[in-house]
Amino acid sequence: MEDNVITVRGLVKRYQDLIAVDGVDLDVRSGEIFSILGPNGAGKTTTVEILECIRKATEGEVTILGHDLRTGGKEIRRQIGVLPQEFNAFDLLTVRENIAFFAGMYDRQADVDELISLVDLEHKRDTYFKNLSGGLKQRVGIAIAMVNDPRIVFLDEPTTGLDPGARREVWEVIRGLRAKGRTIILTTHYMEEAEVLSDRLAIMNQGKFIALGSPSEVVAQHGGGRTCVIRGGGEAAMRSLHDMGPERDGDDVSVRIVHKEDLVSIVTALNRDGVEYEEVMLKRPTLEDVFLKLTGKSIEGGEISG
Amino acid sequence: MANRVKMVFSGLAKQFFRSPGSVFWTIAFPVMLILIFGAIFSGTGVSKYDLYVQDLDDSLVSGIYIDGLEATGVLNIHEVPVNEDVDAFIERNSVVNLLIIPAGFGQALTSGSEIEVTLRQDSTAGSSRAVLAAVNAVTQQANNEVTGGREVITVRSGSIVSEDLSFIDFFLPGTIGLMVMMIAVQSIVGYQTRFRNNGIFRKLATTPMNNAEWLSGMMLWMLVMVAISVAAIMVTGMLMYDVRMSLDLMAIAMIVVATGLFTAIGMIISQFVKDEEVAGTAAGAITFPMMFLSGSFFPLESMPEYLQAFAQVLPLTYVNNGLRDAMVYGNASGAMDNLLIVLVMAVAFIVVTVAISGWKKE
Repeated sequence: MEDNVITVRGLVKRYQDLIAVDGVDLDVRSGEIFSILGPNGAGKTTTVEILECIRKATEGEVTILGHDLRTGGKEIRRQIGVLPQEFNAFDLLTVRENIAFFAGMYDRQADVDELISLVDLEHKRDTYFKNLSGGLKQRVGIAIAMVNDPRIVFLDEPTTGLDPGARREVWEVIRGLRAKGRTIILTTHYMEEAEVLSDRLAIMNQGKFIALGSPSEVVAQHGGGRTCVIRGGGEAAMRSLHDMGPERDGDDVSVRIVHKEDLVSIVTALNRDGVEYEEVMLKRPTLEDVFLKLTGKSIEGGEISG
Repeated sequence: MANRVKMVFSGLAKQFFRSPGSVFWTIAFPVMLILIFGAIFSGTGVSKYDLYVQDLDDSLVSGIYIDGLEATGVLNIHEVPVNEDVDAFIERNSVVNLLIIPAGFGQALTSGSEIEVTLRQDSTAGSSRAVLAAVNAVTQQANNEVTGGREVITVRSGSIVSEDLSFIDFFLPGTIGLMVMMIAVQSIVGYQTRFRNNGIFRKLATTPMNNAEWLSGMMLWMLVMVAISVAAIMVTGMLMYDVRMSLDLMAIAMIVVATGLFTAIGMIISQFVKDEEVAGTAAGAITFPMMFLSGSFFPLESMPEYLQAFAQVLPLTYVNNGLRDAMVYGNASGAMDNLLIVLVMAVAFIVVTVAISGWKKE
């Protein structure tokens, strides 16, 4: 059985009129990448900032590495590493100096040069932070999150605002951390990021976890099975498949596959009625579909909007 | 603890010295201030005034008398030709101080009979009192010498130099006090709002560093910035105005304690200013009244009474007074009193700062 490094029960964070976190339960296992996925304002950052000892919880029990959050904040802070949202370091210090600066805050310090190679920044060692691109800055941030050789690393939206290439490079660094046995808590609003990196994930909306499990479990549980799409089928296909509860999206018609035989029935019916269409394809639900279904938020280019 | 404070200090120091603009203005601002205000106000002290002298006697004795005037060091003597019409000359040259030494001046002095020199002045000019004082002093000196029956009339310069302070004597310690306040308050408010808004505080909040350590590192760094500025002020004063003041231990203690005080005040202001754009204005709102009402530029005695009363609650007033006691008047007990007042204020503000400020969100 895997050890839980973080246990959260009934976590609530309330501001005057607003409930930012509304009764979250969570167990994070040692060595996994756990993602919290959700639209802006869902409460992801508030949740992790409570775990990072930056914010105080209104209610709830939190244990991190065996320490109660309310009494063991100091000890917890020594053993966790954090890449905050919209991370920034000192503009006119070099990569190496910035990492050394934050290392100096801890008694237990990782080797600065090892951290630089961990995030693959040897060639930028003596470059001022302000002269780095967004992706490189985030890699410095990840190195800084590792200065105290932490067991748990929190990465709050580590790839927001990065181009796809830079995002993939950051993913590689994150995988490297897991390979070194760290537990990683990742918040993101990129579907692909959560799907590709996570061992397990939670979808958060309006302060609550509305789905929890491995990416495939979440899809299986909430994705609603496979669908058959008849592209260009139009009104004729709708009539032909009337009994099977078709749904129309423009000229495309989709039908949920409940049994294996359904696919044969569909094609048979279309042929029988002489329906013309461009193609028939089978679609598996993705995390994106699950997300849409659960949160009602639209997605553009893999990024949740509105 | 010590290591974290050291990291904060060296981090800020590196940032500062790599920003040529910051270095330039830290030095240029006090230098500009002292040059500009020195130029504007030096006419109102007794540093150097123009005195036109028409010597109708033109004797050895009157020459010595004029040398005596010159030797006071506060008068620039300009000779007016004996055949010149005085009234026309005054009008033509906008003369405000003109001394006429009558014919027979030397004769009268040597024989001991009464003789009158005439000082014509524009009494509205700021310099009139000082020039009158200087001429009176020299004249009295000459009289003493003569009636004392010594063999030759000599005017010794050292004994009659005015005890009035020149403006720059008054202004230089005030500038130091002012710069300690400006540097500490402006820099701290600037650093705090910048680091809060760009997320550095969010990161620091996740580390074991506490408020007191951050504050200590900041204060140490402020001391260096203040030292740079004080050095610029002293060097400018020496080079441009021949100031011969020095920083004794008491003055240095005052500068150190005042730096702590104003660092804490800056920290407290920055708790209430969240916006980087507003930071400078907010810092200005606190520092500007103090700049003008704490006796940095003008002696407090010259202000209306209600403003003098207000000045009593401004920390900079005590910093300025203490620095002047130490640097100008050589008044050690006055300096100590002011130092203690500033120390108490500093401790109070630092306690408040550690309690309320920092980067914790709640």
